[in-house]
Formats: sequence, structure tokens, C-alpha cells
Amino acid sequence: MIIDVHGHWGPWFFTMEVADLSANLAVMDRYGIDLAIVSGTEAICYDAPAGNRALAAALEQTDRLYGYVSVNPRSLADAERDLRELLATPRFVGAKLHTDYSGSPIASPQTHDALAMLADLDCPVLVHTWGTTVLDLAQACADLPRLRAIAGHAAADGWRHAVEAARSCDRLYLEPSWSHAPAGRFAGIVSGVDDRQLLFGTDATLIDPASAMGAVLGAGVTGETAQRLAWRNATDLFGLPDHDAGNRPHRGYNT
Amino acid sequence: MPFEAPDLSITLDIDVLIGAYPDRDGAPVSMQAAMHAAGVATAAVASLRAALFDVQSGNDEALAAAGPDVLPIGAVDLRDPIGAERELDRLVSHGVRAVRLFPEEQHIEPDFPSVRAIAKRATALGLPVLTGGDVRRFWRPFSGLDAVVVFLDTHFYHLGDFLIVARDEPGFHTSTRLLNSPDALETVAAQAGAGRLVFGSRIPYAEPMVPRLRLARSGLVPQDIAAVAGGNARRLLGLAT
Repeated sequence: MIIDVHGHWGPWFFTMEVADLSANLAVMDRYGIDLAIVSGTEAICYDAPAGNRALAAALEQTDRLYGYVSVNPRSLADAERDLRELLATPRFVGAKLHTDYSGSPIASPQTHDALAMLADLDCPVLVHTWGTTVLDLAQACADLPRLRAIAGHAAADGWRHAVEAARSCDRLYLEPSWSHAPAGRFAGIVSGVDDRQLLFGTDATLIDPASAMGAVLGAGVTGETAQRLAWRNATDLFGLPDHDAGNRPHRGYNT
Repeated sequence: MPFEAPDLSITLDIDVLIGAYPDRDGAPVSMQAAMHAAGVATAAVASLRAALFDVQSGNDEALAAAGPDVLPIGAVDLRDPIGAERELDRLVSHGVRAVRLFPEEQHIEPDFPSVRAIAKRATALGLPVLTGGDVRRFWRPFSGLDAVVVFLDTHFYHLGDFLIVARDEPGFHTSTRLLNSPDALETVAAQAGAGRLVFGSRIPYAEPMVPRLRLARSGLVPQDIAAVAGGNARRLLGLAT
């Protein structure tokens, strides 16, 4: 059982053809990924309300994808409306906040307000982190006692900061996705962080899951830690059905 | 276990280093250990000593490492193009089959005269060039020379630019190391041919399981996977395939 907590649905502006839902499912099948939690690319890159609704329609076609409601901290009224509407459905289980596309650093006032709103809603949030910005996310967790946050990319080249951040707050989770794979990075994360704070994320369909899965394999993660990383922590964090108890989603399209 | 390693042998990895970066942490495992763990049978190995400090003693280090699993690759210092030309001649006299350029490590821009000069000299000597750097800029000094080049740092973000220049340059190839979008390998194969893809990992400084897993799970046909896993590199380096 594998749950990818950092996925996307929709087109990207690079030389790639991954816009269709079938691309998500094909990539998941390529690596044995059972479920993915995805944000709409339109929602994070351009228009959050429109992209969130486009994703909602796509999620009706399959049981293998859950949704993140994308939040643009510059439009909190829109975000609050989307969150209250879409989190009420069983297909949306969290929020996505991309600091770069929204021009809203984690330490900015508008992002603090967005994170406070998500904490009040008890909604887990995947936040793009890079370099030292993960320390700002740790500070947000300290400031907002109900906030549960995933540091997307585990801060990429700032992974040592991500370890420091996760060690400072047990409501801060790390996932490994990154298109680069420095040797020893994920092994360093696993050795430095409580395995109850590890999640498996790929950034597909922007990045092929080989990048995250190769890093996991290279780190030699096994046993209970592998199970927690692969699905157990995600199931707990997002309140998903216990799919390992024979409750797996069917692999085709909904009709 | 939820995560399963691929069953794929890499017969020749084009991007392997010996030595160390003084401004980085050391590699977590040795080159040999990383090769073994990743199923890499033979590595095209260049010296960081040559790239960062002293070309001749560094290349001698690579030459001394030659063996059944190590194919030495020469390096030159683009900060000294006159010395680099001399070193190319010396490398050829030692039977070296390719030269590697380190423009980022040496702070070299693609329009510096040294790059074009070494591109011409290497091509005239029949040496394939393995080069780092942003392919969107480093294609230019190799253009129009009938050069054989492997771009080692092609990121899938820049794939379209590689494909555009590859149309006019049959000798342009790309490492697979950073082509890790869901369809990058398949797109290169469809648009330029799988013969343009060369497996590279950057052992021991990058995780080789990533490009290995990507290639193993790709949509390429088995004979193309085998070619990318080493056959193409062997052809470029003039080895028996």
C-alpha cells in the first residue's frame, strides 16, 4: 500500500503531456501507488477557485485520487469559501499552499492568516518549502497549536533545516519529492526525524515518482518505518479509510 | 515491502566521479559501493581533482583507476584553455575515449572563448565531450562542429530546448539523470530517438536509484532500455557493443 501525499492533476507548462486524468493513473500504476492526494495545477499556478472546481469534477471520475483545496493567501475570502464548500465533500481531505506561485512567503502576514484559518478548520496543509523557509513553517506550527503541516519537498536543498524543523514540532511532516536527488539526503532525513512524521510524496505528474521512490530505495527504508512512510502516517493524518485492511480503491474509472 | 527496487543492470554509467568537492560534505558511500548497490557494471569516471585543482595529476588519478569496472574519462580546466589544449593531446596519447567539462565548477560561461576552442579541438581529435551546464546555453559552443556531446545536466524543465537543438545536431545526446518527468525519456525517444539517451547517475554524489528506476519503469521497448543503460554510451565511446 502506497499513498502519495504530494500529487497534481492537470497540465503543466513544460514540454510534457500529462494533463489527462489517465496520466495520473498510469504513473501511479507504474510504481504501485494506490492513492494520491492531488492539487489542481490551474489552482496553484493561476486561478485557485476555478482550479479547485475543475479538480472537483475530475475527482468524480476515480476513487484513487483525493483532493487538496488550493489556497491563495492573497484571496482569503475565496479560500474560505472553497474550503468550507469542498472539504464538506469526501473527496477533499486537505489544503495546498504554494508560496512561490502566490507570491506569499510562509512568513508573510497573508500566509500566516491563511495558516491560522486552516488550523481553525483542523485542515492539514501541504506547504511548498525550500531552503530555510521550512524554519518559518516550524515557527508557524509553534504559533498555531492546531496547525498540522506537511513541508513539501522537505525543503529540497535545505533538508537539514527540515530535519531541524520537524524535530521542533510533531505536527510538522516531511515528504521527499524533488527532481534532484543528492546522495544521502533521504537517509539523513529518516535518521533525524521521528518516523511518525514521514510521508511519501512525489510531486507527480510534474515529477515522475521515480525521483522520490528512488531516494527512498537508496536510503534503504524497511520494516515499520517503510509502512509508516508508505501509507500509515498519511491514513492517520488525513483520516483516510484503512485501505490496508482490504478496503482498497478499485483501479478503474468511476462510471 | 511497499517500495521495490528495479531489476535492471546498468552496463555503462556515463557520469561518475572520483575525488571530493571541498565545499560540500563528502559522499555518503564510496564510488564502488554506490555502483554495486545500483547495479552499475562499468562507470565512465572523471576526476574532481582534475576539475577543481590540477588537471594532469587528476587525470592521472582517473587513468590509474582504470579496470574492468572503470573507464577513465579525461577532464580539462576551461580556466586555462591553452593548457587544456595540451592536456587533450596528452589524454589522446593515453587512449582516453572522452573528455569531460565542468563549467559550473570552474565558473565558465558558454560564450567564453575557451569553451568553443575546446569543443573544436576535442571534435578534431575525435573525442566525445561530456559537459555539465545548462543545456539551453551550453548547446551553442558545440553547434555546427559535428561534435559528439552528452549534456550531463539536462533537466526535464529544459527538455524542449534540447529537442530543438538536437534536430540540427545528430551528435547531441543527453544524460538521463534529470529527465525524471513522467514522459521525458519517452518524448526524447519519440522525437529524437532513444539513441540520444545515455544513462548517467553522478555516483557517488547523487542517488543512482532514481535514474535507474525511471529507466526500468519507462515506456521504452526493452532493446531501447538496454541501449540507454549502456549500449548507447559504449557506441559513443567506441567500445564494442
